[in-house]
Amino acid sequence: MASPDAPINPYPSFPPAVPSSPTSSNLFSSYINRFSKWRADLGLPNPGSVENLQKEVKATHLTNYAFDGGRADLTKSMSMNPLFQVTHSFALGSQTMQPSYNFGAIYATEHVFLQGGVDHDGNVSARVNQGWANGLVSKAQAQLSQTPGHTMLQLEQDYTGQDFNVNVKAVNPWPTDFTGVYIGSYLQSLTKNLACGTEWVYQRPTPSTSEMVATYLAKYTSSDKSWIATAQLQPAGIVQATYWHKLSEKVDFAADLQLVATPVRRDAVATLGAKYDLRLSTFRAQLDSTGKVSALLEQRFTPTFAFLVAGEIDHFKNSAKVGVGVMIESSALSQEEMEMQMQQMQMQQTLQTPQ
Amino acid sequence: MPSEDTKERIAKVVDVGKTILHYAWIPMIIYVGFTRSNPQPSLIKLISPLA
Repeated sequence: MASPDAPINPYPSFPPAVPSSPTSSNLFSSYINRFSKWRADLGLPNPGSVENLQKEVKATHLTNYAFDGGRADLTKSMSMNPLFQVTHSFALGSQTMQPSYNFGAIYATEHVFLQGGVDHDGNVSARVNQGWANGLVSKAQAQLSQTPGHTMLQLEQDYTGQDFNVNVKAVNPWPTDFTGVYIGSYLQSLTKNLACGTEWVYQRPTPSTSEMVATYLAKYTSSDKSWIATAQLQPAGIVQATYWHKLSEKVDFAADLQLVATPVRRDAVATLGAKYDLRLSTFRAQLDSTGKVSALLEQRFTPTFAFLVAGEIDHFKNSAKVGVGVMIESSALSQEEMEMQMQQMQMQQTLQTPQ
Repeated sequence: MPSEDTKERIAKVVDVGKTILHYAWIPMIIYVGFTRSNPQPSLIKLISPLA
């Protein structure tokens, strides 16, 4: 049990001059040290956060990327280090959404991330991430609107440990009566492949009513990280299972199954999707059990100009959606300035490495 | 439990803070980004989508 180089061994250095409480606390801390060393020796990987449990599946499926109508995104980078870029987004002719204009700005350094967006109605979205030392990240996110009921504030604290991840969130907390939604989650690696966790959502819409919902999570990553399976279970009768497989360097495959079996509602949706990463383009295709077939092509003609085509056919409802978009990235820096910055960054890296 | 007066005051402070954040957030990011960019871009490039 006792390792030869245990960091703290209180007994030889502190003879029993001061009895009882300090000794017992030293004993306790030595146990903690021994426990953390034993834990470090297990070499368990970090499981990632609960929020990113299905990251790979979401990146493969096109649900988050699909759009209809026409849209254009003009991104302009003002500076690379620190990163500062502004985006003008236009959307037009969608079946479900009003034509919109959105202005966004991003500023990021190694520790701080600031993001702001404003649309043509004057609704502002704000996001701040601040990274501290030792895996602590504080996040805040807000939606500000003149329309009552659309304003939202979310405060979040994230801790990434060696083999676990803890996250605490408060959505719309109100300081006088503590109403709001509070979410806590914990994900722990149990073996090199398996991670288990839980998420607790505590809702308190008014001071007199509150509700607690638990979700249990499991994630299995294969040893060569080529496939990942996840499961989420809510005891009320909601199950979500996903499977992601990297078939080759260029092809990802993902499947997702959502089951709702509550007394009020019984429902299930299965989704299959594939993503092809080609040299200058990305193609996503998806098929789900509600009869929807959809595809998205993102073609880069030059590194700064991308063209998007999205399509969706709903076979059960006999409807279709088509979207066309362009993404243009430009830089305020001239070619020489860009090269100079690249050189500077490389210089900094070479200076930092030997130390 | 805070008194009704305090509650009202807190609600007012939150409301004012919200309004300030609403109007100042985007200018704040642009100011921070603009002053710390390396090299500093020209203002017209910052605002216009086409320049």
